[in-house]
Amino acid sequence: MIAPLIAFSLVGLIFFYVQNLVLFPHVHLRLLSLLLFYVSLRPSLTLALALNLVLGCLEDSYATTPLGLHLGASLVLVAVARLSRRRLLLQQLGFQAVASLAALALQEVCLQMSTFILGYQPFFSPDLIKVHTMEILGTAFLGPLMHLLVQGVENFLRRLGWRPRSEPMPYQPFGE
Amino acid sequence: MSPQGRYRIPLLIALVLLLVFSVLSLSLKRSPVLKKVEGLVISLTAPGMEGLQYLGRSVKQLWLGYIYLVEVRRQTVELERQLEEYRQREVRFQEAQQALTRLEALLDLKRQVALPVIGARVIAYDPSLWSRSAIIDQGKVQGVKEGLPVLAPQGIVGRVVEVYPEYSKTMLIVDRKSAADAMIQRTRVRGILKGKGGNRCSLEFVPKNADVQVGDLVLASGLVGLYPKGLVFGKVTAANKKNPGVFQEIEVTSSADLSALEEVLVVKVANLALSEP
Repeated sequence: MIAPLIAFSLVGLIFFYVQNLVLFPHVHLRLLSLLLFYVSLRPSLTLALALNLVLGCLEDSYATTPLGLHLGASLVLVAVARLSRRRLLLQQLGFQAVASLAALALQEVCLQMSTFILGYQPFFSPDLIKVHTMEILGTAFLGPLMHLLVQGVENFLRRLGWRPRSEPMPYQPFGE
Repeated sequence: MSPQGRYRIPLLIALVLLLVFSVLSLSLKRSPVLKKVEGLVISLTAPGMEGLQYLGRSVKQLWLGYIYLVEVRRQTVELERQLEEYRQREVRFQEAQQALTRLEALLDLKRQVALPVIGARVIAYDPSLWSRSAIIDQGKVQGVKEGLPVLAPQGIVGRVVEVYPEYSKTMLIVDRKSAADAMIQRTRVRGILKGKGGNRCSLEFVPKNADVQVGDLVLASGLVGLYPKGLVFGKVTAANKKNPGVFQEIEVTSSADLSALEEVLVVKVANLALSEP
């Protein structure tokens, strides 16, 4: 688990740098959330939770909101991804993108509720709703690319000799 | 599945939830341990940001300064700098003139200008929409303390909220947690300048009968002592008296571009109110 955790944390860090140095302040995207969602669709739950801790700490450290806000809200992404993976058997990129949209929307609700409970801002402040909606839609739109990236990182790790502890058996039809 | 394997996932989830809630709860109590964790994360990740920023700046400078219109670029930068300086001088002059007319003999502008400061470079922002903060490359080692005001040539930027060994976190005036006593330069009407997120602030608790117009300059009143008196917060960009309630809705836009800060000054005086006459 250590190798993929380091690799995906580095990818997250690169996204954070790109957001900070290239996209900010004109483009707002939740690339770290999307990365976490797609990593959570992979078999290892431990990896998803560990990555959640790393990325949540990174986001919270640079914000003025209390440490733990993103950390907690991102758990929703992990939960939705695991639920989608188990119950809906997501295989197609389109369905994954729709699931990521739902997960990001739920994360937003969770963040809004947390900031409201902590007295940080009014519940669903109308002035920022449009920007947040655009941010979520734009992020979910990038889902297929993120899927390819996560797969690419895994393939890269495999080439380096890494194997997941419990890789599912490939599907084999009867009679062959 | 073995009993160990059966309980592994619920146990893992329970542990993570416990950890998250403990972290959140400790963070709300401003635990020094979490401050150290935050400082560690920033100390580990900020140098990379600083390096990339330096690399980007160098490439940009190489392109703009040597390849693309060498002399014109230098002249434009110099003229822009001079123009900004004259604008600031004009604001200061207006402020001094008003002070004289009201016989505020104790107003000492020289003291404001002569405040001890530290130069700092902005190396990172919080890219999310949940807060507005910037990380600067001066920390405890250089004498930065919590609560110190941070200024840009165009006006007030915010104040230091967290100090790490080599870096500090600045809460910008547009952050939702930011609030400061402010006044309209023209009419001396006072209010509380509150951050509204994004790039906006609002001047609150200003009665509807107060004279506030679009374009009025909003200055720090110096009353609570967070920011040096007379420095510019921004300009009034909208004033609405038709809203329900007893106060006006006044939108203020910061005079400094808070999303594109490069160099800032940290004023090394912790509580400016103490030195007010």
